[in-house]
Amino acid sequence: MRHFDVYRIISASLRTGVILSMASIISGIVIIMVKGGADGYTLAQIASYSRSQTLYSSLIPLNNLFTGMYQVDGAFYVAFGLWVLIFTPITVVVIALISFIETKNRLYIALSSCVLFVLFFAMLVVPHFLS
Amino acid sequence: MYELLAIILKFISIVFGGILAGFIGSLTGLGGGTVLVPLLSIFYGVPIVFATGASLISTIATSAGSASAYTKEKIANIKIGVGLEVATTIGAVVGSLLTVYLDHHALTWLIYVIFGIVLLGSLVPAVKRGQSELPPHTRPDWTTRIFELSGKYHDARLKKDVNYNGIRWWLGEIIMFFAGTVSGLLGIGSGALKVLGMDWAMNLPMKVTTTTSNFMIGITAATGSSIYWYSGYIQIFIAAATAIGVVIGAYFGAKALVKITNKDIRWIFLAILSFLGVEMIIRGFVTDNIFFIVPLIQFSISIVIAVVFISVLYVHNLRRLKSVEAL
Repeated sequence: MRHFDVYRIISASLRTGVILSMASIISGIVIIMVKGGADGYTLAQIASYSRSQTLYSSLIPLNNLFTGMYQVDGAFYVAFGLWVLIFTPITVVVIALISFIETKNRLYIALSSCVLFVLFFAMLVVPHFLS
Repeated sequence: MYELLAIILKFISIVFGGILAGFIGSLTGLGGGTVLVPLLSIFYGVPIVFATGASLISTIATSAGSASAYTKEKIANIKIGVGLEVATTIGAVVGSLLTVYLDHHALTWLIYVIFGIVLLGSLVPAVKRGQSELPPHTRPDWTTRIFELSGKYHDARLKKDVNYNGIRWWLGEIIMFFAGTVSGLLGIGSGALKVLGMDWAMNLPMKVTTTTSNFMIGITAATGSSIYWYSGYIQIFIAAATAIGVVIGAYFGAKALVKITNKDIRWIFLAILSFLGVEMIIRGFVTDNIFFIVPLIQFSISIVIAVVFISVLYVHNLRRLKSVEAL
């Protein structure tokens, strides 16, 4: 007897992630429009396609994510929404891992840990080589 | 005030592009990114890395959105999905680092060209899609037992329970590595390659293949996205607009797919895609001034090649259908 329905939990967490992320992205854009800019950039710069002028991901200090959101800076709301989106599929792997631990499926515990390892390698280790 | 209005309109126009991409992407089964990247880079003048960055983000959104609907039906096989993710995530790391390398060495024209080739290549399986629902019966091999690749689902249209045995797990892994690399390199879900890996290599039923691939695409794209983020390829204004647009477009595309009875309509969209594919290849050479062509002539050449390409596919498909009927 399974303690929980993996499929249902995965489905619910995916939907929650998408809704939360979309809400955060939309409110971020509205704040940017209303305030006429974000993170020290003007509205025109933010909407620009030019790589030398515009505000792109690596210029947003993630360390200040929550301070930025507290100061009602639109860029950080969009950034938060984008990161929620990036983390949404990862929770699926975590949920799958938990279900494999519960059924004591050693092979699949190893495989899902492997996937999580690569994911966090891409997030935490690779960026050091890039900068 | 005037400026604000102009920027709001700009945002809405990108959202609209996203809706179009999401709609065509879900109708043809190729995913929003395949349409979004050419659309942004050719018609909106967005630098290719911003286009792939926005596309990768949108890919996660659509994958998560539709997977939440699919997984409830319990057709997607989570074990197969997670197992193959080992290869796609490693591939995604390699692919996105390749993009960073090409970008740093002023070789972004290669991204256009590879994109065009991959787009044209994925049209071939897209044409055949949905014709054989169930795979030919094969005997389970050693990987079926070790990796537990057997499963069962209820097919609503065939009105019966379908049992299946996946085989050749290792071959699936190899193809998935390339699918992940393409996804990280081009900012797309590379659903066509994922379907190839599961349908052709592992002999899984189409329903299991498409739903499992949909659920895997998000995880692959998330891996690439974080590397894209730190490389500065995600322009928040564009990414925000396309993510919203593609989700809306994919939603309506999925609704329309159920209603469309005349399958020939898909050919119009496949023709548009082949035009975008050819255009991307030509654009790649033009942006780097390898040769110069006036835009109007460039479009004309693309249209001619695209028409020839799609006609060949259409005639080939008709012949195949006829020979199937003859049997």
